Order: sequence, then C-alpha cells, then structure tokens
Amino acid sequence: MKDFILKNRYTLLLTTLTLYMAVLVAEGEITGREARIIDFENPFFDFNISNWEDFVDENR
Amino acid sequence: MDKILLRQFYALLRREVLEHRNLFLGAPAVVAFLILLATIWAANQIPNDQLVLGLEYLAMLFDGLSPFDMASFFMILSIPFMLTLYVCCLVYLINTLYQDRKEMSVLFWQSMPVSNLNTVLSKVVTVVIVAPLFYVAVIFGLYLIAMIWLTVLGYSNDVDLAGLGWLFLAALASLLLIYASTFVATLWLLPTIGWILLFSAFARKTPLLWAGGVFILVGFLEDFAFGTQYLANWVESRAANLNQYLILDFQNVLGRLFNYDMLFGVILGSILIAGAVYMRRFTD
Repeated sequence: MKDFILKNRYTLLLTTLTLYMAVLVAEGEITGREARIIDFENPFFDFNISNWEDFVDENR
Repeated sequence: MDKILLRQFYALLRREVLEHRNLFLGAPAVVAFLILLATIWAANQIPNDQLVLGLEYLAMLFDGLSPFDMASFFMILSIPFMLTLYVCCLVYLINTLYQDRKEMSVLFWQSMPVSNLNTVLSKVVTVVIVAPLFYVAVIFGLYLIAMIWLTVLGYSNDVDLAGLGWLFLAALASLLLIYASTFVATLWLLPTIGWILLFSAFARKTPLLWAGGVFILVGFLEDFAFGTQYLANWVESRAANLNQYLILDFQNVLGRLFNYDMLFGVILGSILIAGAVYMRRFTD
C-alpha cells in the first residue's frame, strides 16, 4: 500500500486528495453542513436559487 | 538532542526570513511608507487651526481610558497590512517548495541533516508565527513616527498632550490584537496553506494554476459524480464571514482558537501538509 502511494507524485497527490475529500465528506455527513441558500431580492420578481426549476417554468 | 533540533529549526526559520526579506520586511515597509505619505498629504490639506482642534479632540477622547478597551479603534489601520501579509504569504507558499526544485537547490537542501518534515513545518511556522511579527514591528514603527509627529505638533501649538500618552498605549495594545488576529486567521486558513504547499511541492510548472485548477475540478467532480457540495459548503463556511479574520476584543482570542471548526480545519490542513512533506521526496 505504501509502495503504491509513494510510487510517484501523481499517486501521492491522488491519495492525499482522496483522504482529504473523504474526511471532508464524512464530516459533512455527520454534522449536516449545508450551503447557504442564495436569495436575490428584487422588487420586480422573487428569485430563489433553490427553486431554479420552478423559476424556469414560471418564465417560459 | 532537543537543543540540536531547536537550533536546526531556528536556522531553517532564519533561512526563510533571509531568502524572503522583500516579502516579510520590504512589503510592509512600502505599505507603511505609502500610508505615511498619504497622511502627510491629507494633513497639509487641512488648515492648521483645524488640525490642532482635531489633535485636542483626540487627546481628550483617549485620556484616562483603558488602552485594551480602545485598542480596537486602531484595527482599521491594520487592514492594509493584513491584506498585504495574506498576499505575500500566498506568493511565498506557492513558490517556496516549487522554487527549490526549479533551481535544483532541493538536492543541496536534502543533503543537509534536516528532514522534509522540519523543512515544510518551518515554512508553515514562518507564515503563522514569524511573518506577522515583522508586520507588527513595521506597524509599531509607523505608530512611533506618528506619535512623534503628533507630539511635535502638540508642543508647537500648546496642546495638552496627556491624552496622547493613552492614545499611544491603545495603539500599542492594538499591536497585540493585530498579532492575535493574524495568528488566528492563518491557523483558520491552515487547509488553504496546506493546499498551496501541496501543489507547490507537486507541480513541475505553474503551481498556482495547478492549485486553483484542481480545486475547481475536485468541486465539479464531487457535484457531478455524487450530487453533493461538501467542498463548496466547507469553503463557504470558512470564507463567507470576514469577521472570522479580525479579532476586536482580547476576550475572543481563546474562544476563536479552541473551537470545533478551528480544530477540524487544523486536521484537514495537517493532511495536506503531510502530503506536501511526502511530495518533497520527488525532486524531478
């Protein structure tokens, strides 16, 4: 395993990034980290990026 | 044995400072000089009697007040220096491991009895602990010059200068706040430091492009393959609130240092820094 990880720079980079993302995703799943929903306030219409499909349907 | 290791580490830190004097001394000195020039120019535009009134007001405002309570007033002056520090640290980190391989001096440094771990850690310590010290020293010099100028102005216009002493003490207390802010902010940005060091050690060319490009690619792949945005959520939680980079009260320091988000960031940063340490063995 160690020989594979340290075989060349690319395998080492891939391993580091995989470990980094695995820890990040695990933490995100456990703590339920969520992105902010972006709300654009406009007097002419209401646009909420989480309702993108509804917005497209309304404006067809 | 411990003393030898300490001396080795101290020598590594000295090397970093000597090789990057322009980033750690020159850049803040230029910023301080520009601020001083701008202040002198602005003061020349104001009539002398209004200047003296302003000085009397300043002296009255700070007279008798606790320097630690008033220190946060000076934080706004530190913002240009902190921005310069972050830019200089970015330039330093992206080049530091890359430049050694580009110049082939990495073979010389690896022939020294110093481990890759100590070498990479010295670069992290330079950014987190040493560089802010130089910036604080330059800001102290700027405050000293400003105080001398205000004192001369006050004496020549018969202004009561007792309050200026309290003003100077508050300015000095703000230096501690500035150092605490930069220390906490760089620890908060440890994942970014680790990411940049990793690609500085990895890339054969254009390490900054590699660092940015792979970051965007990983985020895109995560969303495309799994439909999740944990990387984007993580970055948003670290970067969205600019208050995370400034400490305005001494009581906040410990709370900002010892909390879950800081600890998790240190863990993630350690993974990337470990990758950079192992990556350094590839000298081609």
